Amino acid sequence: MIEDDFYRTSSQFRLWSFTEDSLRSLRRNTNTLASDRVRDALRRAREARKSASSSAVGTPNPNASDADSKTGDEKDIECLTPEEEQDLVRYFCEQIVQLGESYKPPLPTIVRATAIQYLRRFYLTNSPMTYHPKTIMPCVLFIATKTDNYYMSLRQFANGVPGDTSAEDIIAPEFLVMQSLRFTFDVRHPFRGLEGGIMELNAISQGLGQPAPHNLQQTSDDLRRAMLSLPLPPNTSSSSISDRLARAHHNAREILKSAAQMTDAYFFYTPAQIWLSALLLADRPLAEFYLDTKLGGAGPDPTHPLTQLHAKLLTTLHNCSTLLQSYKPLASDPDQKKAMRRIGKKLYHCQNPEKVNNLAGQKRIPAAAAATAATASANDHDHATPESEMEQIAKKRKVEGDARRKDDIFGGELVMERTRERQGS
Amino acid sequence: MTVSPLVPPSPSAVAHRKSAGSETARTTQGNESPLQQVQPVADREITEQLNDEVRHKYIKAKKLGEGTYAVVYLGHLRTDPSSFVAIKKIKVNTEYKDGLSMDAIREVKYLQELRHPNIIALHDVFSSKDQNLNLVLEYLPRGDLEMLIKDSNVHYGVADVKAWMAMLARGVWFCHENFVLHRDIKPNNLLIASDGEVKLADFGLARSFADPYLNMTHQVITRWYRPPELLYGARQYSGAVDIWSVGMVFAELLLRVPFVAGNSDLDQITKICEAFGTPTEENWPSVSKLPNYIPTDGNHLVPLQGRDFFLRHFPTAGPVGADLLMSMCALDPRKRSTAYQALQHSWWSTEPRPTNKEDLPRKSGGTKKMGDDLTRRGGELDDQFKNAARQLDFAAMKG
Repeated sequence: MIEDDFYRTSSQFRLWSFTEDSLRSLRRNTNTLASDRVRDALRRAREARKSASSSAVGTPNPNASDADSKTGDEKDIECLTPEEEQDLVRYFCEQIVQLGESYKPPLPTIVRATAIQYLRRFYLTNSPMTYHPKTIMPCVLFIATKTDNYYMSLRQFANGVPGDTSAEDIIAPEFLVMQSLRFTFDVRHPFRGLEGGIMELNAISQGLGQPAPHNLQQTSDDLRRAMLSLPLPPNTSSSSISDRLARAHHNAREILKSAAQMTDAYFFYTPAQIWLSALLLADRPLAEFYLDTKLGGAGPDPTHPLTQLHAKLLTTLHNCSTLLQSYKPLASDPDQKKAMRRIGKKLYHCQNPEKVNNLAGQKRIPAAAAATAATASANDHDHATPESEMEQIAKKRKVEGDARRKDDIFGGELVMERTRERQGS
Repeated sequence: MTVSPLVPPSPSAVAHRKSAGSETARTTQGNESPLQQVQPVADREITEQLNDEVRHKYIKAKKLGEGTYAVVYLGHLRTDPSSFVAIKKIKVNTEYKDGLSMDAIREVKYLQELRHPNIIALHDVFSSKDQNLNLVLEYLPRGDLEMLIKDSNVHYGVADVKAWMAMLARGVWFCHENFVLHRDIKPNNLLIASDGEVKLADFGLARSFADPYLNMTHQVITRWYRPPELLYGARQYSGAVDIWSVGMVFAELLLRVPFVAGNSDLDQITKICEAFGTPTEENWPSVSKLPNYIPTDGNHLVPLQGRDFFLRHFPTAGPVGADLLMSMCALDPRKRSTAYQALQHSWWSTEPRPTNKEDLPRKSGGTKKMGDDLTRRGGELDDQFKNAARQLDFAAMKG
């Protein structure tokens, strides 16, 4: 199984493949760590404010909103759960698809898919409470243009990002992201495998199929006849075999572009398992026929290695297709939208205040300025941040939040804003 | 680890394993701390912790070389001062505002994926405080093939060439099998390990095979090793571009001078035509449709060269060796042999047998040459000039 050997050397297998349990515990770990830090940071901010106001006893407080925010902070803050974090990340994965679509010409599917996997990998070890996905999302998409050979300048890329996001904002978390990706940039996608499988099926339909090594007496004609006599998938009318293949191809590809990206499929399954599962969902008889040409049908001898392999593979594909089927796009689901708004509000209150400005320290900076930045970020770590600065951050967030929350959960859905801009011009 | 169709003779494989244990750092597995096993420490992000762990594994010793793009240090494992590594620190380019440069991204992306005895190993990647990227690479102290080709005091024969070429072909085969084009194969990107193993290095111009109909740039591969389809501006190409380069390295190893050394792109294509024949619609269907194709007038047509030409120019290779070289130098990329086909060629099993890698000719000064090679930016064309520039760097360097 030489191809399996290749896959096992890939960084996707070595670093980014999990069992359900290991993935769950990793996410829980990340969430616990971030929640503890948020609580600590907010407590520190509160204490800082207390000592600031006690030192200013007798001075009337001219800013009433400060008092408001103080009472808000006194309650123990409610942090996001791992599940809420996952929902939030999925929402921003969907935003990647839309942002990519809004470029002229749209960014290639593969670039968007790579960016989505980067975002998902990033949030295995980072929490949205620490780094808001809205700042990370454009950055992963830009990195994906570089790693997937779709060259565009940062300036050009930034022009496509709606709102007042500057080129500097986009590139600021680059190093943080790359470090979280553990400097592995290669993502093994299921798209090319699907194309290959469809080409093979097309060849069979034209009488050009090659018999499998275990079944050498089979002719190209036998293969073609077997394909033509396949039962139709449910809810389809009969059509020519080329139409059927085209439809299966299209539907499977749509699944790979959406459900395969938005679920944990890449963390649990290999690219081949993913595209075969998508093909099973698109046209089950056709996908099973394809597997039979490779492995032989369920033979009479249950102890035969090929029969056992066949059974094992079908179980895996069944599990994977169940996962793919579980995906519902946010746009078509009002309940999810409502839930997302709730999570957005919750996140607003549990963002780690000490990390809000920290991205500045992540900016790629000329070597001369590096020392200054190093000092600055060192300050961030020893919590000696002056009280006034903490307060300023809190205020800034409140003001910004008030201005934005009116119409949106995350300060403007990027693509919605963009659409409005376009309609306006 | 997957092995190529042409499996190395087993005695040397065993020796390789031994020497790898004693002379180079075996740290690959160290890169793989599973994420879920990391125990959180107060106020360090999980990935920062992982990065610190990796960084603390190594000690940077002395500087080996410095270029515009990178600085290379000799380093070793903290726990074992005798296990050397090369640490390539990629400079933060203040001119480049678009974040990490493409060269660095490509190099890291592909070396993270390719593990093969004939490809330079990337043991680890870590970032230092000032956000510089550090690649911990396999230590290759015996310089490169260019050094051996150019030094007239080094004597080698066809058995040695066969050993080097077999290692090169296996490395290239592995890249192509993983859908990666190297796009800068030349003698000074072929580094030599302490046990004599040849390693393909510098993946700064590498990329994955494009999907059908997608364009790629034709501005790759150092000129003397660049195939005619790229000189003609082809935007869709295959592993055949690397095979042409392999053929040019083969020819250069035999002649000890570059075989087709043009001083401009135009001169390069002229020299290729003079040497191998003029590309025509007959010997290379639809060549005239390539964007930068230059028609040759009928009087200057050089007929396509056959077997006797290769045998005449490369007598040391013998008839079978000349046949292999010819298959790598087909003008039409569709007729050029693939890496897999090259490895199936009968030359490898024809007498003389390839020299055992431990017994291959060697030369001192390799460490410095490695420093040189690893700091160079991919695809640099004017080798003479760059060499001069690099000598200046070294003159300024102490120790």
